[in-house]
Amino acid sequence: MVLGDLGTSLRTSLDKLRGKSRISEEELSEVIKDIQRALLGADVEVELVMSLSDSIRKRASNQEPPPGASASDHVLKIVYEELVNLIGGSSNIPLHPQKILLVGLQGSGKTTTAAKLSRWFSTKGLSSSIIQTDTFRPGAYDQTKQMAEKAEVTFYGDSSSNDPLEILQSGMKSVQNTDVCIIDTAGRHALEDDLILELKKIDNIAKPDLSFLIIDAALGQGAKDQAKLFHEAIGIDGVIITKFDGTAKGGGALTAVNETNTSIAFIGSGETIHDFERFEPNGFISRLLGMGDLKQLTERLERAMQEFADEEEDWDPMSLLKGPFTLLDMRRQMRAMNKMGPLDQIIDLMPSFGKGPLNNLPNDAIDLTKDRLVIYEIIMDSMTSSELKNPRTIGASRIERIARGSGVGEDEVRELLSQHRNMEKGIKQMQGLGQGDIKRAMKRMQKGGGMGNIDLFK
Amino acid sequence: MFESLKSSFTRFKKDLKSNFTEVPLDSNIPPQPTPMEEPLVENISLTKKASSLAQGKVIFESKTLSGPLHDLELALLSSDVELSVAETIIDSVQQDLVGTQRKITKGIDVVVEDTLKKALLSVLDESTFNFESFLSDHSSPLVIIFVGVNGVGKTTTLAKLSHTLDSMGHSTVLANGDTYRAGANEQLHVHSEALGKKLITHQQGGDPTAVLYDAVEYAKAHNIDVVLCDTAGRLHTNKDLMSQLEKINRVVSPDLTIFVDEAIAGQDAVNRARDFNEMAPIDGIILTKVDADTSGGAAISIAHALKKPILFLGSGQDYSDLEPFNSVSFVDNLLN
Repeated sequence: MVLGDLGTSLRTSLDKLRGKSRISEEELSEVIKDIQRALLGADVEVELVMSLSDSIRKRASNQEPPPGASASDHVLKIVYEELVNLIGGSSNIPLHPQKILLVGLQGSGKTTTAAKLSRWFSTKGLSSSIIQTDTFRPGAYDQTKQMAEKAEVTFYGDSSSNDPLEILQSGMKSVQNTDVCIIDTAGRHALEDDLILELKKIDNIAKPDLSFLIIDAALGQGAKDQAKLFHEAIGIDGVIITKFDGTAKGGGALTAVNETNTSIAFIGSGETIHDFERFEPNGFISRLLGMGDLKQLTERLERAMQEFADEEEDWDPMSLLKGPFTLLDMRRQMRAMNKMGPLDQIIDLMPSFGKGPLNNLPNDAIDLTKDRLVIYEIIMDSMTSSELKNPRTIGASRIERIARGSGVGEDEVRELLSQHRNMEKGIKQMQGLGQGDIKRAMKRMQKGGGMGNIDLFK
Repeated sequence: MFESLKSSFTRFKKDLKSNFTEVPLDSNIPPQPTPMEEPLVENISLTKKASSLAQGKVIFESKTLSGPLHDLELALLSSDVELSVAETIIDSVQQDLVGTQRKITKGIDVVVEDTLKKALLSVLDESTFNFESFLSDHSSPLVIIFVGVNGVGKTTTLAKLSHTLDSMGHSTVLANGDTYRAGANEQLHVHSEALGKKLITHQQGGDPTAVLYDAVEYAKAHNIDVVLCDTAGRLHTNKDLMSQLEKINRVVSPDLTIFVDEAIAGQDAVNRARDFNEMAPIDGIILTKVDADTSGGAAISIAHALKKPILFLGSGQDYSDLEPFNSVSFVDNLLN
């Protein structure tokens, strides 16, 4: 995630200050060094890191903690506010007809982003189109055409022309019936004067409502100059981070945000067209500080539920809260989980898990869990429908039959059954709670996203 | 190219020089009592300094060094040198300089420069790669595989290398092992036409290993010297795609696996280089987009992580924009 270990290292170093009402100069320096290291390790530009840590230092030593607040909470609050300042506000993406220009370095992921972004708009009910003006890179035309087909959006390009401006002009005429027009451009770096000049001309003709700078999550210190020069040339309205499913921390994108005085609009994090999300600074900060991102979790849950409901019309999720929890219910739940996306991404969004042991699961363990779900499905396929409804009837001889039928070991069948028993226990507890209690519990967790609940870190 | 890295070393040299010359002149300062916890080497009295100076020797103290060293570390970081690699360099410089007496017959510049050079070369792989002799050492066809994350420039680099080999008088066949990305076949097709090379492709969605296998068979049948195999870009965290890479490596058993990465990459360059190396042992590195980069630290980070030579630098959009890399002259250039 953005900035990676910053949250962890921040909590560790602030833990050292726990219980102190005053922080000495040295202690503060230590904390600030930790913050600097984490930011630098995340590719945030050096000068930016220095100015950020300077203002944290100044405020922490000059401002008195409010009455009742401990010194570490005071420092944490300052760090939080400075980070919010750095990351910027939530960018406004209006849902009305508009033109969007995508620019960036070679290989930063503009074309993939064009497809993902057009798809995003069409899921919001706006018809969208992509114009490909990259006449330089071989295969750009075909790539965009194929990706537009996948995204089910209109495509305009001309593989026989080598004039981006001409393609743009006829393209804009051709796709004028679509609501949102996304203009893809050839990759270029900001030191190529002729290409920057070309970009200015494209910008002049297109007159885009928004221009997004695409930044690879792994981009280093060069982000500053690139962002600066692109911004000077055409004016950047927001940054999109790509390839965020790797281990890169995206500090380059934050540098670009700072340089262009904008914010991160979207994050691309995977090979499929759906791996694309809006960036919400508040949720991001909560995630960074280990408090989860309930808003996004809820959005994903709703989306998954919707897709799921479309497939299984006769299933009411609320039925979970009534009656016995069968293996059939468990299977439905597993399938719904799968729709929400990779488990590791979901875990990242969950409150308390962010800093809990689950967050420290090695990637392998998460992949294992995914494999496990597949095996569970296979095992269930070898059960009779009465067994699925009444798991308690499954004894040793049935286990043997099911294991043979599904080609797994008996231990794995037993594991599935014990997993089911655990989930059943959890569901029973939830059934015990009234509706009001659940709502209250959710509210409590949501509050964690703001500063009102700083004791959550303790 | 690599200007920011270069200027950080220049500044460090200047810092040390000015720091040093001030010390003996400023004789008004009373000898400072050394705090207990400081190591013995710190305890260098003014008289000792003066006498060393008289003998034409320099003594660097960690106190005078710590400022410039800290600046150097920040400068390295702001040139995209990875954090742990930057620390390795700083440690090496510090160990080499602190407390030792150095003859200054050659001047402080030279002393510091030697130290920096030593530190850098210990991080970079010193061996330089000679394509010509590598080719003659291996039976034909030589199989080269290009691997790396998405968008670093594998395909463009492959086309450039084909051009380079062509000018060296070696025939090549191109193979598209990227059966995933939309437009990959078309992209390589355009290159193969422009270069006048045979291209082996399968349909999108096919097994990349099969394509590369076919290409090797084609080269054998047609007496072609080098097979250049492209692969799909993949993030090192994608387990399935990384296992696919492992399979390609196992079945095709390439003579040379080249890790392509961009010179503009930041701290993460080290992570991905290591992960790729685990799945498909890397023999050499090509850095791309050097023309977009003014820092160049990624070169040092990746070479250090892999302990493998950098073969070429990609520096532009033309086929001829591929320069051989030599670590010794690279370091010399940085320090002069």
